[in-house]
Amino acid sequence: MAIGKRKKITVAELDRIRRRGAGPMRYYDLVRVSVREVMRKRRRYIGVLASIALGMAGFIVIITMGNDLKKNFNNDLDLLGGATIINVMFEPQNLERQEWFRDRTLEAIARIPGVLDITTVALKTSAVTTWHDRLFGFNLVGCEANYWKVFSFNAKAGRLFDQRDVDEGARVCVVGADLARQIFGSEDAGIGQTLSIDDNLYTVVGILGGVRAGDRALFVFLPITTAKARVVGISQPYSAYVRCATWDDVGSVSKAVPGVVKANQIDRGLRVNVAWEPLKQVQRIFWWVELFIYSSIVATMILGGFGIWNIMMATVTSRTREIGLKKAMGALDSDILYQFLFEALCVTLSSSVFGVILGRVGIEYMSRMLGSRPPEGLFVFCLLMGLGFAAILGVGAGLYPSIRASRMQVVDAMRYE
Amino acid sequence: MSNRYDINDDNALVIDINHLTKNYVTAAGQITVLKDVNLHVRRGEMVAVMGPSGSGKSTLLFVLGLFQPPSTGDYQVAGVDVLSLNRDQQAIFRREMLGFVFQTCDLLENSTVYENLELPLIYAGVPRRERPDRIREALRMVNLDHRVHQPSNRLSGGERQRVSIARALVNEPEFILADEPTGQLDRENSLRVLEYFTKITEEARTAMVVVTHDGMTAEHCTRKCVLTDGYLNG
Repeated sequence: MAIGKRKKITVAELDRIRRRGAGPMRYYDLVRVSVREVMRKRRRYIGVLASIALGMAGFIVIITMGNDLKKNFNNDLDLLGGATIINVMFEPQNLERQEWFRDRTLEAIARIPGVLDITTVALKTSAVTTWHDRLFGFNLVGCEANYWKVFSFNAKAGRLFDQRDVDEGARVCVVGADLARQIFGSEDAGIGQTLSIDDNLYTVVGILGGVRAGDRALFVFLPITTAKARVVGISQPYSAYVRCATWDDVGSVSKAVPGVVKANQIDRGLRVNVAWEPLKQVQRIFWWVELFIYSSIVATMILGGFGIWNIMMATVTSRTREIGLKKAMGALDSDILYQFLFEALCVTLSSSVFGVILGRVGIEYMSRMLGSRPPEGLFVFCLLMGLGFAAILGVGAGLYPSIRASRMQVVDAMRYE
Repeated sequence: MSNRYDINDDNALVIDINHLTKNYVTAAGQITVLKDVNLHVRRGEMVAVMGPSGSGKSTLLFVLGLFQPPSTGDYQVAGVDVLSLNRDQQAIFRREMLGFVFQTCDLLENSTVYENLELPLIYAGVPRRERPDRIREALRMVNLDHRVHQPSNRLSGGERQRVSIARALVNEPEFILADEPTGQLDRENSLRVLEYFTKITEEARTAMVVVTHDGMTAEHCTRKCVLTDGYLNG
């Protein structure tokens, strides 16, 4: 280079340069300068950065874990009212044989989207047992091992029979808590005892527990295979209980069930019972919770956006002289506009990166807590949405200050003290 | 549009101002700050514009730098009628043809010497690989090439002004405009800066207008003009 190299310029040349505009290299340089500027003045952006990062992390965790949270919430709330359990049954019809659920029908229902589990029961309402010369009457239920899961039952004492017991047709039984007290004097005393029910002997392996166990406190439960093989007069599985994954699935599943049943067997007397009122209450509660959470996230993000807007306005004012200087050096209005816009974008995007990291940590923590794993695709989707939102926020909040900076008159900027 | 400016002529007319006036409208009425100003500066000339406070020096400087338009008159730089240019064309013209040295140096905060000199090159679209050489060359003109990566806030006042000069030179301007360039410097540093100005105008044949009220600065110029009550004499 030689300082003082002779130059001549024409208006046409000026126009040509103007039309050529800023190439990729110029944008790259402006981004570089903007990032450098933000990095060197990072302290002033910490508050805004934290606000957006927290909002973003909350957004990612809620969206990614939302379904798992809902399932978990659903389980907890369901204990109170069974809002997501649909009872499907065949009612007796005059002169017609009462229908019962075939295995293929149950398998087809289990495949309906939104169905978490399905179980059937066989019932004998007048079973009896004797204990130390005393006679006790009760309802005898033959059920699958997943019956406990569908109704969120647990063992108050001992254990509940499992799939292995069902498969083997084991001669074991689970006794309702009140009945156990009546027969054995206490709940624990019955564990390991042998009960004679309708001339067959069964070992008591557990006492039924759980929030809704009170409804079945006078029942005795046998593995359904055992009940079918040994209990005289046990009913066919006329009734089935379908557990939905979330309450949002109840409507669609309840609508789909009749069609599925009809496609697999005679559906005479089919009735679908849904606990609509508890379901609506649960949905209403969760709707308010969701509204509150999303409002908080949006408020945090908007506050972050206002923070950026405010900081950018202050930055433009405090750097008025610098803007004038840059214009004196030949910066176009668009150069100034892009520089400030890139600075705002740099703040929001780096905030969202922190938000994504925080969100990931939150997801890992909640996954462990809930014992479930959300799909990675959903996380990636949230990540992209978060970055997109950050970009919109950056442009939205940074645009006006950037336009103001770019339209500044050089003479005013240079005179600014 | 044709341009008769001859780049091979060592004495070509770079600045050509004729009958230029500048009025301001204030609450008290219209004030004429520059009155029928004529200024002609050729290549290699260093012209001092002197005058007391309020005489219109700053206004003339802003008009010369294309920061604000005059009310009437003609103004050509290197053969181009700069008053007919639009906002973007003026900005491009400024970065291609003009260099500025300000009294307060105005180096960018929290930046190195290199970054200060790189900015005009970014705006001019100079490829990245060419920038280091051009920056070093400009710094060499003011004997600061050893300070290229020094943070600007660690420079002395004299060094800052020299960086400011190098920044004005880095885009190879035809015309340098200096506003009180020695206003905040001690005598020794002032003399050094003026020597660089002389070197630039003599070696590079760049035209220069120095707005000053300092007699010593004016003595180093090839010509001296005095602005009094809006009239430019000399």
